[in-house]
Amino acid sequence: MADTISADNVTAMLQTAVALIRDNEPLLSRLDSVTGDGDHGAAMVSAVAAAEKALGEWDKSSLKSLLHGVGWGMMCIDGGSTGPLWGSLFMGMSKGAGEAESLDCAALAEVFEAGLAKVQSQSKAQVGDKTMMDALIPAVGAIRSAADASASISDAMASAASAAAQGAQATAGMQARFGRARNLGERTIGHVDPGATSMSLLFKAFSEALSARET
Amino acid sequence: MAMKKFINDPANLTVELLDGLCTAFSDKLSLVSEKLVCRATPKDSDKVAIVTLGGSGHEPALQAFVGEGLIDISVVGDIFAAPNGPKVFEALKMMNREAGVLFVVLNHAGDVLSANIAMEMAAEAGLNVKMILTHEDIAPGADAPAEDKRGLVGCVPLYKIAGAAAEAGKSLDEVFAIAERFNNNMATLAVAMKIATNPQNGGEIGKIADDEMEIGMGQHGEAGTGPCKIMSADDTAKAMVERLIPAIGAVKGDKVLLAINGSGATTHMEMFLIYRAARKVLADAGIETACSMVGEYLTVQEMGGFQMFLAKMDDELIELFGAPCDSPYWTVK
Repeated sequence: MADTISADNVTAMLQTAVALIRDNEPLLSRLDSVTGDGDHGAAMVSAVAAAEKALGEWDKSSLKSLLHGVGWGMMCIDGGSTGPLWGSLFMGMSKGAGEAESLDCAALAEVFEAGLAKVQSQSKAQVGDKTMMDALIPAVGAIRSAADASASISDAMASAASAAAQGAQATAGMQARFGRARNLGERTIGHVDPGATSMSLLFKAFSEALSARET
Repeated sequence: MAMKKFINDPANLTVELLDGLCTAFSDKLSLVSEKLVCRATPKDSDKVAIVTLGGSGHEPALQAFVGEGLIDISVVGDIFAAPNGPKVFEALKMMNREAGVLFVVLNHAGDVLSANIAMEMAAEAGLNVKMILTHEDIAPGADAPAEDKRGLVGCVPLYKIAGAAAEAGKSLDEVFAIAERFNNNMATLAVAMKIATNPQNGGEIGKIADDEMEIGMGQHGEAGTGPCKIMSADDTAKAMVERLIPAIGAVKGDKVLLAINGSGATTHMEMFLIYRAARKVLADAGIETACSMVGEYLTVQEMGGFQMFLAKMDDELIELFGAPCDSPYWTVK
């Protein structure tokens, strides 16, 4: 059987992410209260609630419409940069999905690359700037490398999860150059970035959902 | 310590304040689709529309400047937070017309994100919109890259000038060119001496010692150029205007607009002292204060301090500044 994922698999991945991010609200709020205004946990809960609503309302027509609904829902939440950036990620992924009914590893890499490109059209942050990009860019890169090496989808996602976690952890040593934390300059060093942390949770959840599929 | 503010459920602040504003001025404003503050009497469809966006908590800005000769729709976000991109797009779509829409955005990360998303949607939908970004804060240095310079009170006179040009029936290209000319010749410097509280979560905005002030502090407590001991009105005004003059390249014989914008806890008495001192420094340099604004336009809750704004004016800009307008907090007959 070909190694692909369907819209139903993506739904399960997103449901796992909704739950994991919700469980981590206190952690995200605590991290953000050090370098930001302490609302990242709440913002992520709103974002995943919007995603959950979109999953419930999805018309089952296509993977593209599923991802579009999630992205649009997230984009419609008020406050801060979480909604626009996470919304852009899924809107970009939706475009990247095209008319595909299921995705093999190479197609999955393209979908994530399209999502990343859309986020990058809104944010100039790079790896090292202490933002969500420190998790997102290496995670997408890991999926691409795995696809190029003909790895399985679950192995690709496992390496994405590990790259994202490492990237998020590395933000502790960085000085913020974007967002509200930027105003604190050197005072941000020593603290893990909340945005990179929530992004690493997304890939962790995706990876867990895919390994659950196999057992 | 408990927050000393007359509020109800912090989650409803924006909805309640917009309801109060739009019913108090129901002859001028109407609230559409929850967070779009529109003119009660819409502008003729053959004239350029002015749309803007921004968080609440800065009253009277921005929505109390919706009215004839000023803003057509202000898209309001939550306290100090940008409205979402799709909501902003909704406003652009509502105002879309052959004459076009001028979309004024203040340079703050969240506002710019939502604005860019809305502009992308507008392009896909084929709307006739031109965006202008204000970024006149010179705290990071007058030559700092534009993306580092925040949009402060300068948006308010810019609405006035662009709004007047639009009412005069000028084309979108003309309105844009006039607004951009003003935008490129303006500068603001803020000073704070008492911090404010975020009314939604009680968090303190900024940090200032009892006997100090900080020139350059932004309207959300963003760090400025470092604290210093409190100075007199004259010395503060002089220190600030002497940085603003070179920032806009004003020289002897030039005409300027001088604005003093109270941040919330600074009294009108203090503002007039500051205005007077700044105007004197300008006069001594041979620069004519052709237009003036003194008052609370864009506030930061109970922050003590003010923003000093200076713009180079030409005859056309002076005429547009003085043209009639009719909004809750700015009326020219």
